[in-house]
Amino acid sequence: MSGEGRVMKGLEISEELVRRAKAMGADEAEVYYLKARKLEAVFEKNDLQVPKGDSYEGVGIRVIRRSRQGFAATNVLSGETLDDTLAAALAIAEASPVDPNHVLPDPAEARPVSGIYDEASERLVLEDVLDVGRRFVEAARAYDSRVTIDSASFAAHISERAIANSKGVRLSERASSFVCVGMAFARDGDDISSFDAEYSGSCALAGIDPEACGRRLADKVVKALGATTIPSFKGSVIVTPYAGDELIVQPIAFSSSAENVQNGRSKWAGKLGSTVTSPLLSVTDDPRIPAALGSASFDREGVPPEPIELLKDGVLGHYLYNCYTARKDGVRSNGRATGTDQTTPGIGPTNFVVAPGQTSIDEMIRAIPKGLIVNRFSGNLDPVSGDFSGVVKGGHYIENGEIAKPVKEVMIAGNIYELFAHIVAVSREVVTIGEMRLPYIQLEGVSVTGK
Amino acid sequence: MLDLLKSAMMGAPGYAEIRYHRRVQTAIDARNGTLKRVERRTLAGAGVRCLVDGCWGFVSTTDVTLEGLRKAVIEASDAARAGARLRRDKARLAPARLGKGEFVYQACVDEPGIAEKIQVVLKAEQRMREASPLVVGSIVVYTEYADEKFIVTSDGAEAHIVDRKPSFHVFATVGRGDERETGAKAWGVTGGWNDLMKKRDLDKMVDEAVALAVRKLDAGYAKGGQYTVILDPQLVGVLSHEAIGHTVEADFVQSGSVVKGKIGEKVASDLVTLVDDGTMPGAAGMVLVDDEGVLAERTVIIERGVLRNYLHSRESAAAFDTVPRGNARAFTYRDEPIIRMTNTFILPGDSRLEDMIAGIEHGFFLREMGQGGQADSTAEFMFGVSEAYRIERGRIGELVKGITISGQAFDVLKSVDAVSSDFELDLGSGHCGKWQPAKVDAGGPYLRCRVTIGGRHE
Repeated sequence: MSGEGRVMKGLEISEELVRRAKAMGADEAEVYYLKARKLEAVFEKNDLQVPKGDSYEGVGIRVIRRSRQGFAATNVLSGETLDDTLAAALAIAEASPVDPNHVLPDPAEARPVSGIYDEASERLVLEDVLDVGRRFVEAARAYDSRVTIDSASFAAHISERAIANSKGVRLSERASSFVCVGMAFARDGDDISSFDAEYSGSCALAGIDPEACGRRLADKVVKALGATTIPSFKGSVIVTPYAGDELIVQPIAFSSSAENVQNGRSKWAGKLGSTVTSPLLSVTDDPRIPAALGSASFDREGVPPEPIELLKDGVLGHYLYNCYTARKDGVRSNGRATGTDQTTPGIGPTNFVVAPGQTSIDEMIRAIPKGLIVNRFSGNLDPVSGDFSGVVKGGHYIENGEIAKPVKEVMIAGNIYELFAHIVAVSREVVTIGEMRLPYIQLEGVSVTGK
Repeated sequence: MLDLLKSAMMGAPGYAEIRYHRRVQTAIDARNGTLKRVERRTLAGAGVRCLVDGCWGFVSTTDVTLEGLRKAVIEASDAARAGARLRRDKARLAPARLGKGEFVYQACVDEPGIAEKIQVVLKAEQRMREASPLVVGSIVVYTEYADEKFIVTSDGAEAHIVDRKPSFHVFATVGRGDERETGAKAWGVTGGWNDLMKKRDLDKMVDEAVALAVRKLDAGYAKGGQYTVILDPQLVGVLSHEAIGHTVEADFVQSGSVVKGKIGEKVASDLVTLVDDGTMPGAAGMVLVDDEGVLAERTVIIERGVLRNYLHSRESAAAFDTVPRGNARAFTYRDEPIIRMTNTFILPGDSRLEDMIAGIEHGFFLREMGQGGQADSTAEFMFGVSEAYRIERGRIGELVKGITISGQAFDVLKSVDAVSSDFELDLGSGHCGKWQPAKVDAGGPYLRCRVTIGGRHE
């Protein structure tokens, strides 16, 4: 296999640097290596802006000395800069306080996840990438001439990552991702719709349908034309998958992060095994879905993650751990360390999967006498308190069980943790957006401020 | 280095630009009694941009040998040539005043070492925990970019830039029973550690963040609706940058932003003059030479209520038949220059803040940015507010929480009926996001105007 030699090289660099760190006085050392190639076509104002290429190679070096941690990273892999980076990591460790929770994981078997690397990506050239981007933009424009693609891009990422540590972890993996994303608005005379975005992502080039993605984007912004204001009310709101990232995924990911639990910022501290949301909500964090963008056989620290049920019928099942927070709680890391070669490990979900419900979207809308569909939420949600408030973009007003009209200058506000208890319906339909799989979710009792 | 870059681009077809950028970023993050992370990252390489047959090609690489740079120039010009077959609107470049020589943005003296910075951050975090028994979460973060750039263009720019931009963020969470509230303070400069410490007193900011969070525990919510408000310099900065500034970026104008075709029209109250100026010494958005090698100058965007200029790159300036003034910026060597703001602000007026407050019958005094916020090409915006106080019959009253402001930014500027004589740039802590981050600053005086307050129905 053509890529194998390069991965070996990454592992060799990592192991060599671990040895050097130990020789310079580190008790433990970890080196995370990333090599990446990116090809991208960027469009602006309905036209090609720039084709872009990037080649990257870098390492992140973490050392632990007398229970003090240091970290330094560099993408200059010359001998001199590597020595300087090793020395900087050790100097930071020297200046840092003792913290016995800094630990590196022991080796564990990491089973590959199928479908996360597309061999075809190796043969890809910039012209192929330009062509996919062109098809996306042309499809959106052909759908309706009032559509303006403000910006769009199609990007191919091909990466090889490797990790080695002084406890014997030695892992490498290749992955590819293809992402088509666009932001557009429609203009009809003086009537300008709100901006809206559409996204299509896949680990395989064949998994991208740029024409369908372009048409979906165009359809959204054209439907947002002719928006009117509505009076204020308190009632039903349907959170679409695109608004779900901010309103559903982020608060759940925040409050289930062991770090936020330990530092007192999570509402769900001490709530394992307790009901924290409506029983209609079930969430799995699944790093092993074949060919999914959030899948990986090992995390930023070399720990292999397994699927976990974060929420089962509204009951909190797990927190997300990296090694540091796991050591603090006296448990094993469940492999949710995030980050790159340029960062120390953080915490986050992998593929965030909200289980589909029993109701179709049409049934959901038919049952609402007065409500609002939130296509995109542009605002502020404080994940600590759960208070949110923001503008609804591409919103549609529901009256007597039907979509009555697009709306503008509408804000929604409430407390998301309180509203999680008032989820009254979850759709059967599920949309995949990057690492998220989300249904439409109906919340009751949201304050809607109109004009 | 400049000679190396010049040799590498010799023989390149059309326009070529090579920007070598080495960044050493330091982050110190203390929270909840532990030093969560200290990171030092070196990110260095060359961004090569070529313009051939009216189309750009951009290639970034870590290989900065003569051979590696020549290869990147060839790849970028080949990509441009391939793209030119697709691109309809051919790019041209406006003539510009190009930077030549040394540009050291702020002389940094007595910069302490990493060990001392770590100690200061740890002490501030400890102070936050000890400031109130209600504190359940404490975060103090220091971030610093130390940049060195060499920019060479085939039409004559030859600039060597030394720049340093540090910032502090302090973030307190307090709890009582099940309730949680937060208080945050943040500031940033162009300069060294000592300049950052001079801009704000770290201990005082820690104390204020905790005090605000504690007071929010007992604060109520406001009823949504239209109100007369006072915006502080930071919120004026947010409005100037987010809601107005983006709509006058020439690339947004070309895609049909709300100010398209409105140069010379009245778009704000006579009291409002709004500018973008990279040359403000010490401001976090300070740029003396942009990433196309263009020398920075002040751009007057709105002059006494009348729209005068958009913000330009060399490409957009050619399309609008005007001159670029240093607004093409790239965050790292891997990013290509795009139109960005630098320091965006409203010029001070002649009102006294006390008189402005006294003139409000029923409204709010709004201070500093809260979490979140967005605006788009229609200039419709929504921002979170950190501190909001009721004003009743000309007097400042109690704190209310969960406040956002929204409206159409030009309508808000038209409603301005008083501008204070104060002036501060106070948005230097964070980043502006537009495909790539950028360090910016913004601010101005206090403004009295009308906005929509989003709150809760009682």
